[in-house]
Amino acid sequence: MAEESTEMDIQSATEPESLPAKPIFKPLKAHEMSDGKVQFRKVSVPPNRYTPLEKAWLDIYTPVYHQMKVDIRMKSRKVELKTRADTPDVSNLQKSADFVHAFMLGFDVTDAISLLRMDELYVESFEIKDVKTLKGEHLSRAIGRLSGKGGKTKFAIENSTKTRIVIADTRIHILGAFSNIKIARDSLCSLIMGSPAGKVYSKLRAVSATLAERF
Amino acid sequence: MAAAVKDSGFEALENLKSTEPPVFLAPSSSISSVARVASQYLFTKLKPHNPKSPFDELLVDGFDAEQIWQQIDMQSQPLLSSLRHEFKRFAKNPGEIRKLGDLAMEEDSREGDVDEMDMDGLDSDGVNEDEDDDELEADESEGEEEEEDGEDEEAEEEDEEENEEQNEGIEDKFFKIKDLEDFLEEGEAQEYGTDYKDKKGVSMGKKQNLRDDDYDDDDDEDDEDEEDEEFGAFAGDDNEDEDNLGKARYEDFFGGKKKETKKTRKDVFEDEEAGDGNQGTDKLSTHEKELLKLQSKIDQMEKANLDPKHWTMQGEVTAAKRPKNSALEVDLDFEHNARPPPVITEEVTASLEDMIKSRIIEARFDDVQRAPSLPTKSKREAKELDDNKSKKGLAEVYEEEYVQKSNPAFAPATFSDELKKEASMLFKKLCLKLDALSHFHFTPKPVIEEMSIQTNVPAIAMEEVAPVAVSDAAMLAPEEIFSGTGKIKDESELTQEERKRRRAKKKRKFKAESAKQPVKKARDTNTEIHNTGNE
Repeated sequence: MAEESTEMDIQSATEPESLPAKPIFKPLKAHEMSDGKVQFRKVSVPPNRYTPLEKAWLDIYTPVYHQMKVDIRMKSRKVELKTRADTPDVSNLQKSADFVHAFMLGFDVTDAISLLRMDELYVESFEIKDVKTLKGEHLSRAIGRLSGKGGKTKFAIENSTKTRIVIADTRIHILGAFSNIKIARDSLCSLIMGSPAGKVYSKLRAVSATLAERF
Repeated sequence: MAAAVKDSGFEALENLKSTEPPVFLAPSSSISSVARVASQYLFTKLKPHNPKSPFDELLVDGFDAEQIWQQIDMQSQPLLSSLRHEFKRFAKNPGEIRKLGDLAMEEDSREGDVDEMDMDGLDSDGVNEDEDDDELEADESEGEEEEEDGEDEEAEEEDEEENEEQNEGIEDKFFKIKDLEDFLEEGEAQEYGTDYKDKKGVSMGKKQNLRDDDYDDDDDEDDEDEEDEEFGAFAGDDNEDEDNLGKARYEDFFGGKKKETKKTRKDVFEDEEAGDGNQGTDKLSTHEKELLKLQSKIDQMEKANLDPKHWTMQGEVTAAKRPKNSALEVDLDFEHNARPPPVITEEVTASLEDMIKSRIIEARFDDVQRAPSLPTKSKREAKELDDNKSKKGLAEVYEEEYVQKSNPAFAPATFSDELKKEASMLFKKLCLKLDALSHFHFTPKPVIEEMSIQTNVPAIAMEEVAPVAVSDAAMLAPEEIFSGTGKIKDESELTQEERKRRRAKKKRKFKAESAKQPVKKARDTNTEIHNTGNE
């Protein structure tokens, strides 16, 4: 034994042992990641959105179920989302939940759908009172300023900044890319603060030009 | 032979003198022969005074007048120049004439023919005889003087040598103190009118009897001898007798050896220099004096070398190391990097003016022209702020943006692009129609790729070969224009029912159309104002 141990056979280094091939694993499905547990999301439906939800239910259901591969159902004024076994990505559930939530906030399905398709889109919400304390008529006027006549100011902001804005009474929701949200928020805040629409327009024009130049 | 010649010559001369002048006018052989003999005699007499002449005697036999004359001329020319010198000398120093006078006395004792010795050449024609006689007499006197001089010089050469040495310190061949003193006294006499006496005792104004004894002043004779020496250089050969030639020495011309005697030194300096302190240098010779000078110079230079250098020689010198304002006194050399301004001269001005004139004529002014601003980038379609609700959903907006970024080719045309397309299309069509109107030449329609579904197109489309100018309307068949039954009734022919039917039809049509278009409220200004007033 001692002799054997001392006489170590020196293996020649000319033929190194071939290493085993790198294992290739498929990405974990949501199902497997959570160890077979199913993940849930629940989105409550505000009363004013109940009817639009009914109207647009199919438009919501189809992309979520078939493309996102997330189970979606409506139960007692709540929309429930559940992962399936074949949900490809972990984030699908969250995206779907966000999509539904955006709809509940007031956004159109066509606009909310963009959340499903793009990662970088966010929804930001704030209240008018966060910007400036307004009461009574001032508040009303502020809201009126924000939307403009027939909503043209709002549309102007939307079109120039590539965002979607929902003004729900005193709440404001902005859907879009982060930088765009910022621009839209700035213009909205200036409107709340009292600047006339013309001023906001001119700023928007400049901004839109720069935005357009960038791309 | 010589004596015989002399006698015959003399007789011949006498003969010539005695003949009447008119006899000379007519050529006669006897007179000519006599003249020749006389010439010969004179020639031989003059010969001793002219050692340079090539002829020993005048060759007369067989020579014509011209040749005889040439011979005499050759002898007389140098003689004349020397005689002129002597004459000048005697003009300055009449004292010498006295010497000659003595000499003449001696000579007379020797020879009786001294008077006629210096005769110039006689022409056989005898035209110049009078002149010759005058010259002859002058020459005679000079000749006497010369002979006298020669004798004197011989005797007193030794004295000269002695006296020379005494004055050698300051004098050399160019400068003699005695001469200077004589000159100064002359000048004073002329200025102040004094009748000064020459050192020889001869007053310049008057000519005293040449026979006065000047041997009383031995000292003065020394001066004379020295003066004689001067002229000896010019006419030494002529003045001296033939015996003296051999004794001519270097010292005669350039001064003898230098010996020092204090006495003469002091005599000289007392006259000219007062208070001379350098008694110590009196003893030195010229060479030693020069050596002293050199030495002093050397000392100076050595001293200069040992002293610190002048600031200009010191290399790099700052302002602190040189005295104040010393740079102003020195010519400093700078390298000027800038070109010096042009010197304005009249030519420059004239050239400029010419240029200006020509420019004005050409009307070629160098006016500054505004630089053309860069062609501004075509303003990007300034997206008008769209006030309307966007028709695309946000997803589509971002989709388009993404497509444009990644793949511009596939990007769908923007709204403005579509408008542009539409506008260009319309314009092309219009142009085509206008062109068709204006000419009958066939121009094919521009191919516009349009994808559109056309209904009611016949399966077969026959090509209509007709000029473009012919409109489609003209090519239509009647059926295509009007489709309807044959029975067409005019209004007047209609029955009441048919009229009612038409009216009802019309009304229905009108109603249908108006239902499509929303009815616009008529603007009533009065009511509007009224409304605003309420609010």
